[in-house]
Amino acid sequence: MISRGIWQQKCRNAIRRWLRSCAAQTSPLSPSPVVSLGNSSYIGFCSQPIVSRYAMASFSMVNDKLMDLNIPYSIKRSCFSSHALLDLPASGIVSIPLAQTGEGIAECELLKWFVKEGDQVEEFQPLCEVQSDKATIEITSRYKGTVSQIIYVPGDIVKVGESLLKMVVEESQGSNLTSNAPDDMKSMGAEVCDSSIQSSDLRHSNTGGVLATPAVRNLAKQYGVDINHILGTGQDGRVLKEDVLTHAVQKGLCKEPSSLSVNSVEHFQGEEKYSHTLAADGWQYEDKTVPIRGFQRAMIKSMTLAAKIPHFHYVEEINCDALVKLKASFQEENRDPEVKHTFLPFMIKTLSMALSKYPLLNSCFNEELQEITVKGSHNIGIAMATPHGLVVPNIKRVQLLSILEITKELARLQQLALANNLCPEDISGGTITLSNIGAIGGKFGSPLLNSPEVSIIAIGRLQKVPQFVDDENVYPASIMTVNIGADHRVLDGATVARFCNEWKLYIEKPEQLMLHMK
Amino acid sequence: MTISQTRNVGLPLMKLVRWKGVPILQQLHLEEQLLRTSSENWCIINDGANDPTIVMGISGFIFTSYEVGLVPRNYIVGLDGLIHTNRKPAQLLKLDSVLNDRIPVIRRYTGGGTVVVDCGTVFVTFICNKDAVPGLQPYPQPIMSWSSLLYALVFRGFGDFSLRENDYAFGNHKFGGNAQSITKNRWIHHTSFLWDYEARNMAYLKLPARAPEYRVARDHLEFICRMKDYMPRSVFVDRTIKAVETHFSVRPVELEAMETNLNSKFPHSTKLLTEQELEAAAFESHFEKALSHSL
Repeated sequence: MISRGIWQQKCRNAIRRWLRSCAAQTSPLSPSPVVSLGNSSYIGFCSQPIVSRYAMASFSMVNDKLMDLNIPYSIKRSCFSSHALLDLPASGIVSIPLAQTGEGIAECELLKWFVKEGDQVEEFQPLCEVQSDKATIEITSRYKGTVSQIIYVPGDIVKVGESLLKMVVEESQGSNLTSNAPDDMKSMGAEVCDSSIQSSDLRHSNTGGVLATPAVRNLAKQYGVDINHILGTGQDGRVLKEDVLTHAVQKGLCKEPSSLSVNSVEHFQGEEKYSHTLAADGWQYEDKTVPIRGFQRAMIKSMTLAAKIPHFHYVEEINCDALVKLKASFQEENRDPEVKHTFLPFMIKTLSMALSKYPLLNSCFNEELQEITVKGSHNIGIAMATPHGLVVPNIKRVQLLSILEITKELARLQQLALANNLCPEDISGGTITLSNIGAIGGKFGSPLLNSPEVSIIAIGRLQKVPQFVDDENVYPASIMTVNIGADHRVLDGATVARFCNEWKLYIEKPEQLMLHMK
Repeated sequence: MTISQTRNVGLPLMKLVRWKGVPILQQLHLEEQLLRTSSENWCIINDGANDPTIVMGISGFIFTSYEVGLVPRNYIVGLDGLIHTNRKPAQLLKLDSVLNDRIPVIRRYTGGGTVVVDCGTVFVTFICNKDAVPGLQPYPQPIMSWSSLLYALVFRGFGDFSLRENDYAFGNHKFGGNAQSITKNRWIHHTSFLWDYEARNMAYLKLPARAPEYRVARDHLEFICRMKDYMPRSVFVDRTIKAVETHFSVRPVELEAMETNLNSKFPHSTKLLTEQELEAAAFESHFEKALSHSL
């Protein structure tokens, strides 16, 4: 790509001169490490000369068609290319990793994408911009194709070698790296050394005769098969991964996998999943190192903090029959199509009422100063699971809001959260958190505190269970389990128990709210 | 033809712009535009910016994903559920002083670190086609090396000049910082030289978490130096131009003549951060706490 222009003319001439002098030789060249390029200024600038995998694999010249040469260039393994390294695909989907962009640079930050999923991409079209140390660099596409999946988002740190995106490329391109004779210099000049390919691989590729990428050679080595004995089905007799696998199967070295194109079609939707086909077939178990990004990083940080807090949990069941009736009557009387009544606003309001009586649960603990700040406002945070992840916006000053106002505010926050449009105001300043895990499922959870808050409440799912009444009859009741997590440095069991009783009272007997109405 | 002219025959053309005291934002805008829309080689020398300005590299700022032309937002809810503000200003600047003293903060289109520039700073920028310098590969290290060879010519006899990681230094002391941007067919390498500086301006900057080894464990004022202690300003500019002439056939151009060629609708990535953005960044630590949560 970028290096193509620089290398093309001079290299081609130099190589031609050199090759003509070797034209008499028919056997593959001995692995002499350095090619003199006839221009000393190259050496001065090229402090990291290029080692080309593909040049070693195959290289046909304008003058000498189909002459297979292994021409290893230069010594150092490190090189750079803003071209993507290519896995030879069997079915057309390739993973484009971040190619090495300079010696010693292990990772880059992705700045922005120039393409999106579904876009048609031309060869050498810029795909994205990354930043490494002092330079921003455009990464261009090695091939023509369509973007099928963008793996990283701007702001992510991408390690060299990790896949940036996946592309569907045309079949003919995939297995044919030296398509046109004049374009040979592409493969030579632009190629990439994967940082995992150490100089030992140079030795492998120098055995001569068989065309194969180091990845395929590695695979052959893993199975203990001699790559020279494998019949290659790729272009120019190149040995492909499938050929190695077929050979290994034939030799009884492994069970036949159900799909040979396993590697290229990965169901890789996130760090957590492994390729299903691999697991099912059982012919390749590999440990996978999952990079810690975004969500995990934040969780690690916050949970490490939470781990320092001595939690205790208080569990209680609340009879929600009255609440169910209340919600139904709200909904019946509701004239506003925008408003939809749910249980949550009522629970938030009653929580605030209970907090008024037990304000210690609405406080913050400052460890350094060893002081408790009892917060004046009831800013109740509501955990929301959105497609973008977990967010906890809070409703401010609930003690001053009516249930209807809470309903509207909650809807507003939910909409913003779904649209990824919450503002800093919405998510800061919370004093207590309500986690409605019951919306997803579960009887109850045991939540961890959202430091510096001192209490958190997890609400389980409403379940219909049989209950005894005083006259020993059984009747069905809607029971909700709650689990209150609290900081034992600030709160004790008795306080939390009493607080919970108060809250439970309001929910089970909503008319009690009227007593406290101002 | 004179001897120097005969020497120039065969060298690629480079247009030279010489400015004095042009605001850095204007310079950065022009540079980016030339990088992306021109097909010629350029050298821009700006002898001093005007008022003190903080210029930050582009990384660490949050932008929307794939739109060409950056649309920075103060905050987005990331995939991890956390609000990401532009936390970089908070990490690298003493925001309270910056806000108090109303120092402008610019995010530039190249990567690299943060500098504070003023009338004591001299800027030298090279914008080249990828094959302008024969044999030079358009990657960060080679470009940096090439530039250090050029400046070695400039400083020969004036000081113990060397390229220390990505900085230009006399001995152990940095006097010039570099940044680059490499596109498909062109590259830009620009340097801000510390001709002179004021200690109180340097005080706006925090030391970055990742520092070159030669600077580790040293305070800001301990590892920088003033160029004026080594050579006169005009001498520096003249010698730089002469050094450039060894690689290019240099043709000076006037700013006015160039401006008319430039497309005024160009979407710049270089941007002056607003006061609100800086204030939002100053609050970012609260967000992290508020959002860390687990069911």
